Amino acid sequence: MAKIRDMIPAFELLQPTSVEAALDLMDEHREEGWVLAGGLDSFDWFKDRIKRPSAVIDLGGIEELKGIREVANGVEIGAMTSLTAIERDERIRSRFSIVADAAHHVATPQIRNQGTIGGNVSQDTRCWYYRSGWPCYRAGGNTCYAAAPQAMNREHCIMGRSRCVAVNPSDTAPALIAVDAKMIVENSGGPRVFDAEDFFIGPSIDITRMTVMGPRDLLTRIQIPATWADADFYYEKVRDRGSWDFQLVSVAAAFRKSGNTIQEARIAVNGVAPYPVRLEAVERRIVGSTGDEATAQAAGEIAIRGAQALRHNDYKIPMMRNLVRRAVRSVA
Amino acid sequence: MAEKLIGTDIAPPDLHAKITGRAKYAEDFRAPGMVFAKLLLSPMPHARVRDIDASRALAMPGVIDILTADEVPSREGPREAALTNHPRYEGEPILAVAAVDEETAAAAIEAIRVDFEPLPFAIDPLESLRPGSPNAYVEGNQYGQEGWSEYKWTAADFAAIDRGEFPDPECPVEWSKGDVEAAFAESELILEETIVHQSLTHHPMEPRTNMAYWENDRLYAFVSTQSTQATKFALAGALEMDPEDITFVSEYCGGGFGSKISGTTIMQVPALFSRKIGRPVMLRITRYEENYIGRARPGFQSWLRMGFLGNGKCNAIDLIIVQESGPYGASDFNTAGMIADLTYTPGNMRFRGVPVYTNTPPKAAQRGPGGAQIISMMEPILEKAARELGIDRYEIHMLNAPGPDVAFGPRGTTLTSVHAREALELGAEMFDWEAKSALSGQRNGTKVTGIGIGLSPYTAGSRDRDGMMVIRPDGKLYVHQGIGNLGTHSIADTARPAAELLGLSWDDVVIVWGDTSKGLPRSTVQAGSQTTHAHTRANHAAGMDALRKVREVAAATLGGSAAAYRVDNGRVSGPGGSMTFGQVAQRAIAMGGEYDGHVLPEDIHEQTVPAAQMLVGQGLLGIARDNYGGEGSIYSWVAGFAVVELDVETGAVELKEYLGVTDCGTVLHPRSLGAQVLGGSIQGMGMAMTQRWVFDPKWGVPFANRLYTARPPGMLDVPANLRWGSVGIADPQTPVGAKGIGEPPVGAGAAALTCAVADAMGGKCLCRTPLTPDIILAELEGRPLPFGRLDQHVG
Amino acid sequence: MQRLWRSAENPWGQEVLIGVSWDLMWAAVIGAALFLVGHAIWIKTRPAEEHAAPATVPPGIPEKIERHSLASRVFHWTMSVSMLALLVTAFGPVMGWQFPWVQIHWMAGVLLIATVVYHVIHAVGWQDFWSMFKVDVGEGRAHLKHVLSSKAPPPPKAGKYPFDHRLYHHAIVVVTLAAIVTGVLMMVRIDTPFWTRNPYLLGDAAWGVMYVVHGLSGVALILLVAAHIYFAVRPEKRWLTWSMIRGWIDRDDYLEHFDPEKWKVGGSSGASVESGGGRSGALADAAVSAPRED
Repeated sequence: MAKIRDMIPAFELLQPTSVEAALDLMDEHREEGWVLAGGLDSFDWFKDRIKRPSAVIDLGGIEELKGIREVANGVEIGAMTSLTAIERDERIRSRFSIVADAAHHVATPQIRNQGTIGGNVSQDTRCWYYRSGWPCYRAGGNTCYAAAPQAMNREHCIMGRSRCVAVNPSDTAPALIAVDAKMIVENSGGPRVFDAEDFFIGPSIDITRMTVMGPRDLLTRIQIPATWADADFYYEKVRDRGSWDFQLVSVAAAFRKSGNTIQEARIAVNGVAPYPVRLEAVERRIVGSTGDEATAQAAGEIAIRGAQALRHNDYKIPMMRNLVRRAVRSVA
Repeated sequence: MAEKLIGTDIAPPDLHAKITGRAKYAEDFRAPGMVFAKLLLSPMPHARVRDIDASRALAMPGVIDILTADEVPSREGPREAALTNHPRYEGEPILAVAAVDEETAAAAIEAIRVDFEPLPFAIDPLESLRPGSPNAYVEGNQYGQEGWSEYKWTAADFAAIDRGEFPDPECPVEWSKGDVEAAFAESELILEETIVHQSLTHHPMEPRTNMAYWENDRLYAFVSTQSTQATKFALAGALEMDPEDITFVSEYCGGGFGSKISGTTIMQVPALFSRKIGRPVMLRITRYEENYIGRARPGFQSWLRMGFLGNGKCNAIDLIIVQESGPYGASDFNTAGMIADLTYTPGNMRFRGVPVYTNTPPKAAQRGPGGAQIISMMEPILEKAARELGIDRYEIHMLNAPGPDVAFGPRGTTLTSVHAREALELGAEMFDWEAKSALSGQRNGTKVTGIGIGLSPYTAGSRDRDGMMVIRPDGKLYVHQGIGNLGTHSIADTARPAAELLGLSWDDVVIVWGDTSKGLPRSTVQAGSQTTHAHTRANHAAGMDALRKVREVAAATLGGSAAAYRVDNGRVSGPGGSMTFGQVAQRAIAMGGEYDGHVLPEDIHEQTVPAAQMLVGQGLLGIARDNYGGEGSIYSWVAGFAVVELDVETGAVELKEYLGVTDCGTVLHPRSLGAQVLGGSIQGMGMAMTQRWVFDPKWGVPFANRLYTARPPGMLDVPANLRWGSVGIADPQTPVGAKGIGEPPVGAGAAALTCAVADAMGGKCLCRTPLTPDIILAELEGRPLPFGRLDQHVG
Repeated sequence: MQRLWRSAENPWGQEVLIGVSWDLMWAAVIGAALFLVGHAIWIKTRPAEEHAAPATVPPGIPEKIERHSLASRVFHWTMSVSMLALLVTAFGPVMGWQFPWVQIHWMAGVLLIATVVYHVIHAVGWQDFWSMFKVDVGEGRAHLKHVLSSKAPPPPKAGKYPFDHRLYHHAIVVVTLAAIVTGVLMMVRIDTPFWTRNPYLLGDAAWGVMYVVHGLSGVALILLVAAHIYFAVRPEKRWLTWSMIRGWIDRDDYLEHFDPEKWKVGGSSGASVESGGGRSGALADAAVSAPRED
């Protein structure tokens, strides 16, 4: 079929006003339906006519999915809350600044105005072979074009590969892992709660998805427990262009200190694997230290254990190592 | 006294329409019965169409017809046709379908089966010179008077290249001056580098959309193009029709950067399709399609040897450029050789060039073609010489920059004026070079400061165009501009000299542009930074003609000698009294003859004559050819100064400060000039640092086809307080003194950054673009690069 | 009818095969289930087969007759494990059971190859290779007639490997070898500790054939393995299943199901557990001659 791009084929637009109605529609349309949040990922797919759902379920009219609320044990962010709202929210800025910081690093102001936190964590990978509609594993085919010997894969993964070598593009995902956020996923059977780090899955589990969510699942809320409120945070994203760019590598870390000593830590990195990677071995290594240079150096080395470069992305190994070092150093 | 127009900030007349969204670009036009066309693009980099089955598409409700390659003009050799059965790059248009709406046309394209036979293809130009490697054409990779042939370097050439040596191949283009070998023997320092400059698409905001319809045998074409009058003639040439049978409309153009100079090849499709089906045809080009058919800057793979005397003077250059020419050719490499000689004045130079056809999207001039590439790559090497010789980097730029006596290139080309050193001087003063250069290498945490200077010339003018204007009975001056309107304000700004000569306030000036039915004179193409120079001259000449006629009409009406009449504020006054320009216009119509255009000057171009005849009898016609003449080429300069911070742990580079200082003669419109200097510099920064185009070698197709993956820089990627300046020295050979400015900033912005990054890396020149964090970090960490030092299209 | 294979457009827009339709998997699963249920019902409608044991036991036939040497049994069960692992890792994820299957799958494949190589060497060198590969059209006809009509006379008794066993073995050989050959080539397309993948070793069309053949083999194995397991657990075949565990069958089963002329055991005419034996016959592998569990 000759390729046409940049033209959205017709679809039925469904605009539920409650989560319940949205879930009913998702049950009704299953694989033929498509859940639309901010549209920044969806419309790219639609424009390129690669994903052609017959029905699009627009969450934009569901008020209960929007906004940030204080809850008993922390804050709760509706999945349809815009990244701008998160970036500007005083409660998040003061207590979970890493989440605001991560949201601020997404693309451009226009995109943050339109993009939602739910969409940001649920978005598909940006592997350009996959995005070109090539029949790769992730698209249901039997080849990873990005891992072929001469492939252009400088933005692909250095760990966690399983046939597919794409990376998770979300800026907020590692920050949510760092604050031990809980993802509330609902379907008509009721809600389930996932730790942020378990919400994202790799291709060895399901090569066609980035998250645990199936076609009938909806991410409705993200809860950030107070456990990590006001911790010492570090967030950094390295990208090619100063704005409107996905990460090459990003790091998000939260530290609890007692005096000068790190008592607890959570560190996650994105851009290195098909899912955001929590670095538990690094966390174990640094707990009890002061984040001194020797610890930082060791943390960096531990972080990249097992990392394996593709042809064009060897640089991600030192980049990841250095970012983890910096995160640890930031405590000292 | 009337207001001074030259050198002041005056909002252009199209500003309001643009910011309110009322400006009509090509895709905003509609015509009764209009249908939409969509293109079917080749999925392969090189192929032959064996069979087309459009039966399903043609049977779809709403589908009108198909236009194939057999129905568009084609020519022998490496020449592009609007549609082809022999695609030579992925994305080349094969056929078009018209339907009542765009979605139907798109669905119809998807329903067409084309049987392609894939052919061997060439993506990397240097690789395609290896013995036995595939050629971009079935017939060969070189085209000359004898037709096609195969041109390869020898196995020995490649053995030398693979050993990392400076090769000595036979090249189709070669020139030299002085005694290069003897000069190198005298050099205190010889630097030898391999250079890779990437190929980049143009990415204008407006894709090359166009619409056309016919009324009887008259073609109405609405086209996105940089030029107006020149494009009308190009379209007539392509369709082999009388230009005067075309009404050509192009009021606004959302950028071209050299990719839409005299229109586009694809503009033939709606015209031919409309003629076939008898209905207006709109062909909206998408961002995706623009990426393929929208032209690209040719990449270079190059070897450079530069010799320096002990005082830092470059005394010899040996330069070999392999140019990626795409399927239909480009000539950047020639310009690059000339600009290298001009900028470093070595006295002794050998230039060898090899343009190589490739199965990559077509190449064309891109803002500073050839110059931007070579300047961004050679400036860091000049600065490297300064370091090695212990000379201040500003001083080495000053020492090597040309003076008024410059004669460059194989034919000893001279310049009308050159104030490159003054630009450097003013820049060093505004930038505070002394203080800033002390920051070089300073480390703040993991960040290292780098400072760089880029000096970039480019052509900036041409001569011999026509100016045409009418003073109508309403007393206003209607300046007819045949140049295009691509956002540079030159449609308005180049009219200022005439208005000033006639003593008119700007409110009394009406710019007529963008529609040939209004009568537009022969103009330069809106490219090569020519318009400011060419059309301030042409309009000055026509303004002088109008002024003479106003005085003569006044003298004939009021009495006295014409020479005794003066113009001011829309009136002409002299010994016999005073009359308004409105009265003058009415009187001119009554007088007829040359005054109202019944008699035209004999030396105006034949293209201007029919346009002038449209204006006969409408008022006092000022019309003249630019006969001011001149000696030498017209070049403008920009000296860019940059401060960057390089994070040695991530390879990320942040621009902290930038200043661009230009020598472009008299400043016509300061605000617009600043926008050009900085806009062009930012475009160059993108070229050097973030922008990219990548090809998969297995499939021969490009990636980074989207703006977010291609990464041209935007407002958020540079500091808010970029600065600019101008030496403001008038060019003595042109009546207004103004030269063009569009192109030289690109090389300056790019080179200031390539130099600053090298400076932050302690003088290490990576000698390739883009300087993205991956290759910088690999260098800093001592890790090998994943590709060969001469590989093109990677990253 | 649904297409039997899956195809996709390659990056150049050319239609290429990428594998069999997963509907075939479901068809195989359903087919296997129908066969099992059908067979179970069918067998109930058949009159019980009378297999009168011979009144006299020929001399020299031991109580326990070795049917499968330890080596054969180890092979069989290793192969079974790898085959089941391959099937589960192949089809489990398609059926919706998500787990990291690729590595298990190729490692099980390597194990299968190792067992097959072992088996071939073993069969050629130490077993009566031709006892498995004898082809007799008349025998087949007799079996078919007996299956179609319970009134038809029972087919002649077999040698060591009954007719249906040989038929099954031939099918397994073809299907497994197809799966192995294509599977080995497909391993070029994934990273292993031994090499980095190269999906461009073959052209799209050749790969398409590989995937289709591999998929068809896999689907066929669903049927074959299901039938195999089914018969293994059927009461009237359980004595055979036990022999694959214990190694031997008892004399009654031997005399009831086999033609002593074709499978000679005991005395000078063959081999027995007790006597050990020659190159032909039941006890091909002297080294594992005694069923240890006794």
